[in-house]
Amino acid sequence: MTAWGSARVLVVGVGGLGCPAAIALARAGVGALGLADDDLVDVTNLHRQLLFHDEDVGRSKVPAAAARLEAIAPSVRLELHETRLLPANAVSLVSRYDLVVEGSDNFATKFLAADACAIAKRPIVHAAAVRWHGTALAVGPEGGPCYRCLFEDVPLENPPNCAEAGVVGPMVGVVGAAQADLALSVLAGEDVLGELFTFDGKTLASRRRRVPRRKGCSLCGDERRIHDIDPKRYVEGVCVTG
Amino acid sequence: MDTIVRIPAALRTLTGGADEVKAAGATVGDVIEDLDKRHPGLKDRLLDEKGVRRFINIYVGEEDVRFTGGLATELKAGDQISIIPAIAGG
Repeated sequence: MTAWGSARVLVVGVGGLGCPAAIALARAGVGALGLADDDLVDVTNLHRQLLFHDEDVGRSKVPAAAARLEAIAPSVRLELHETRLLPANAVSLVSRYDLVVEGSDNFATKFLAADACAIAKRPIVHAAAVRWHGTALAVGPEGGPCYRCLFEDVPLENPPNCAEAGVVGPMVGVVGAAQADLALSVLAGEDVLGELFTFDGKTLASRRRRVPRRKGCSLCGDERRIHDIDPKRYVEGVCVTG
Repeated sequence: MDTIVRIPAALRTLTGGADEVKAAGATVGDVIEDLDKRHPGLKDRLLDEKGVRRFINIYVGEEDVRFTGGLATELKAGDQISIIPAIAGG
């Protein structure tokens, strides 16, 4: 029996990162795998979202991904959530799982997932990839360092357009696999919490560095201010590449 | 004193594609000023009127400068600066 054989893992965002992460987690034999997304497969997804094929275009992502995952790992119990993570459902949804893997494409969902997991005391592994730059961060169930220690709040400033930024197909495969690796490490009790993994797709250089816990963090700091989900904190998502 | 600055992929349009550049200065703030002279536009991508933009993290070695004095963080020979922007995509 593995450390994760009975673990329940929720994948938030079945996209470029969620697909390889879900494949790796299913093949690793987690006990149950939840898939949460409300999007449809688009033809522009196919170069990087490994669970989808041409015939899936126009289908809802969650059942399309589940069909492929059933073929890959028939023993894994799949739980389908055809919804995005919303302020109204976030805490109840993440509470049903032992760990959350978050690879969403907008900051509003990233911060919502971070806050919901802190409130529900669930570990979360965040990941993102834009162009040739990818990051992943595992956060423990009992506070920081957390996503808000690293990036304080939803960016509102001068964001470049997501479509202009683009996502390089192989990048999400690498980062999504690293995200699954971190998730399994957390479930195995290994000391990876608070380590930021960065990957540069142009130089193929990767780094891991400790994120310090920020005393003034609104989510895990000494004077924590976020104790519930206030929808006003999570504005419509934007894509910032720096 | 020159310091090596690692540039994330998203900002390399401002450095002619270079993933590492050199800049001079005794503090992180000085280095950013020099970076902007050598690669105009970089400062605006890193700083706003309050200091380091909140979706940017700047590390000296393994230390986040937010915890070491911010832009006043002093540099010593051999230090390397890394810039890590918040990103959302996948």
